[in-house]
Amino acid sequence: MTRQAFMARLREGLRGLPPSAQADIVADYENHFNEGQAAGRSEADVAAGLGDPGRLARELHAQAGLRRWEEERSPSAGASAVFAVLGLGAIDILVLLPILMGVGGAIFGIGVAVVAVFFAGGVLFAAGPFTGIPGGTIVAVLGGIGMMTGAASAGAVLAIVTIGLVNALVWYGRLHFRLLKPALEH
Amino acid sequence: MPEAIEIQLKKGALELCVLALLSQHESYAYEIASKLSNLIGMGEGTIYPLMRRLQNDRLVETYLVESSAGPSRKYYRLTEAGKASFGSQKSAWASFSGAVESILGGAK
Repeated sequence: MTRQAFMARLREGLRGLPPSAQADIVADYENHFNEGQAAGRSEADVAAGLGDPGRLARELHAQAGLRRWEEERSPSAGASAVFAVLGLGAIDILVLLPILMGVGGAIFGIGVAVVAVFFAGGVLFAAGPFTGIPGGTIVAVLGGIGMMTGAASAGAVLAIVTIGLVNALVWYGRLHFRLLKPALEH
Repeated sequence: MPEAIEIQLKKGALELCVLALLSQHESYAYEIASKLSNLIGMGEGTIYPLMRRLQNDRLVETYLVESSAGPSRKYYRLTEAGKASFGSQKSAWASFSGAVESILGGAK
């Protein structure tokens, strides 16, 4: 790997850390290349000695995440610490899978229920006035509209939650892949 | 998986080795990294996350030294807390490695 490629991958991996920390880390590794080349080593040799820049960046990220969690016990700091640990591959996809299947099943069930309530509302709205239900036409029409709008808003909330979960899953999957691949190539 | 065990052992010992080197003389990261990679075969890159952690934990501090050629170098030295930590880690290592040695000796 060339010096440029190493530094580019390192910079990419460091994204999300405080800018001053990023600048410090980048300067450290730039210095390392300068020292190595001054000692007569080739760029490729220095880069090989340093190891995988993505792995180094993850280690630095994990450190920063855990450190933040130690300093401020906020939900976002907690989440970043958890993800930092996940990023190091400490928790396996096999652990995650049963949880995901449970969550996925629940979302599917709620989705089916939402659709069912919507159609039941539609039936009540359309057919209710002719079946002579107690309370008469107005109750049937308003009840039907109520059920349909309720189902629609529940569906919207469910969609938002699902999008969030899927984003998290995609993020996790990409992270895991990035972790596994270098390990497999070694 | 003997390789994984070796990596874990080295990682655990790395901090102690860095503190030991710095207790002998103040140094800069490139020197520490190349020494440790020669002696115990650690990737040179891993020294930088470790140095950041030691600095955050206030076990080491840095100062800049003008070098004859090129930009100034960032030197590391142990703080008082760093010296104390090195002392306790060193004795913990000595008693632990002694115990492991004696068990290994008994197992042949």
